Amino acid sequence: MNMHRRVLTLVALALASVSALPAFAQGTVVLPIADVKARRAVEREIASAQAKGLPVQPLVAKAMEGVTKQATGERIRVAVASQAKRLEQARVLLAPSPSVAELTSGADALAVGVPAPMLKQIRAAWPVAQSVAMPLDVLTELVARGIPAKHALKQITVLMARGATPSQIASLGSSVQVDVAAGLAPDAALEVRARGVMSLLPSPAAAAALAPSGRRP
Amino acid sequence: MTRRAALGLLVLATAHRAVAQAPPEVRLEAGYARVAQQQVGARDVTSDAALFAVFWRRPADRWTLFTSANLTYARDSLAAAQGVAAFAFPWTNIERLRTDFGAAGARFSLRSAGTGGNANVFARQHYVRDHGGTWIGAAGGITGRDGSHSASRVADIGAWGRYRFLYGSASVSRQNSNDWLLLATSGVYGTPFDQYFVLEDWQLALQARHGPHELSATWTQRRGVVGAETYVVAFSASGVLQLNDRVAFLASAGRQLSDPLRGLPQADIATASIRVSVGPKPLVRQRSAVGEATVERRDGQTELVVRIVASDTLTVEVAGDFSDWQPLPLERDGNQWIARVVLPPGKYHLGIRANHGTWRAPRNLARVHDDFGGESGLIVIP
Repeated sequence: MNMHRRVLTLVALALASVSALPAFAQGTVVLPIADVKARRAVEREIASAQAKGLPVQPLVAKAMEGVTKQATGERIRVAVASQAKRLEQARVLLAPSPSVAELTSGADALAVGVPAPMLKQIRAAWPVAQSVAMPLDVLTELVARGIPAKHALKQITVLMARGATPSQIASLGSSVQVDVAAGLAPDAALEVRARGVMSLLPSPAAAAALAPSGRRP
Repeated sequence: MTRRAALGLLVLATAHRAVAQAPPEVRLEAGYARVAQQQVGARDVTSDAALFAVFWRRPADRWTLFTSANLTYARDSLAAAQGVAAFAFPWTNIERLRTDFGAAGARFSLRSAGTGGNANVFARQHYVRDHGGTWIGAAGGITGRDGSHSASRVADIGAWGRYRFLYGSASVSRQNSNDWLLLATSGVYGTPFDQYFVLEDWQLALQARHGPHELSATWTQRRGVVGAETYVVAFSASGVLQLNDRVAFLASAGRQLSDPLRGLPQADIATASIRVSVGPKPLVRQRSAVGEATVERRDGQTELVVRIVASDTLTVEVAGDFSDWQPLPLERDGNQWIARVVLPPGKYHLGIRANHGTWRAPRNLARVHDDFGGESGLIVIP
């Protein structure tokens, strides 16, 4: 019972934090940075990004991470500026109309070293109407595990081409995690798990027949 | 007298309040040292010594109090006890500044440098940036030996920098002293018509850190500026091998130049010792406290479950973008700590920390640089 109550508390906290983020746009969120000068500099960075049409939520989250990790005000400002730059880059790469989730995923992919052209490749591999946030997230996780970006991208795009769902692609990342924890090399784990997911998918010919008409060439 | 007592009580109460907010960290060290000294007009002396040290640190919100006591004992020639107390004081209004100050005292009986004691005070002002910093410091000390006293002053200035796992520093210091006996026991000829001697040291230090393991090397060039005819280059190296969460093996070898401030003669020293961290929080990085984060399904919901096996830990927290980086406490469950957070599918960054220490990525997750010089764990929930 006690554990159940704790779970509910954590969920409430998580939801409360998410709902609080958009309030920055109205100037009601005050970042808890003790140094007033540094706080204003961070707020200026966020306002500048907002003026460019970039989402505020990932920038506030980055600032909050810095506060929790007791980073200096200047370091927080630099981190927020870097995140804004990555978001801006992701917006270009994931054009024409990336969602906030896609922008955040794209920015995080760039942060772990995924080459910029790969974001374009992922976007091109799925219909415009379908979010590429999850494939990007899995790519980010695999690259962060040390799998070469080219290899990880190939496996993900093959799965996307075969009609894998976002959930199936996401499970690829967690399956690789289990294998790596068991001692398998990340590359080998990806190979094995990608084949496992593929065995559940329709054949390439059937996938082509089922492909939505909005798919990009 | 009453005013002095009241002032003393006030200082004690303030110090107690400053340091009584967190559990102390304690280290015990014991080991062996071989010391060789070269002296003017006497044969070289080699001693075998036993080393004992206690290091105690108590962090508080703004202050950190460090204390340590050392005892060095050799059967026939060498015995020294030393105590050090120091405060580290970060400025709240200018976060790049930090001031360290403290005092140390020692009682020794050295065949080569007489019986006596030493007391010194020191202060250092630091300017700290993300990957480097500078400092300027001053210190003064008195050494009494066989009824005579000598005074020493030291000023130093330096800079340090960090690149990935490498830390380097460069500094220059000037030591002004009239401890002629110390100079002689260090194998240096002094000019007797001078009132005091001045030594100038240029020092370069390099340290490599890999997790809790450390390897350090120091190169020092010393020259006599006034009253001392010396030009010496000294090199020393040391290493720390962390055997487990609480036990470490330490070794060092090299030349220790004479230190007038603390009354220590020049010597070639090799040491080997074992360090044990005791108390509720080991000083070493807590590998056992770097837990795991997994995804579990329960009652149709996806839960992020964070588990840490850390029986001797007082608090464990998790924070991530799912909590707007607000630390959430884990709940103790026997020998482990656990938190369950219901989350929708997506990608999450998170970190965990024990005893308000450094935020770390759970060991089973992919790790990403966090833009703040640390790392976060990355998990994708299907």
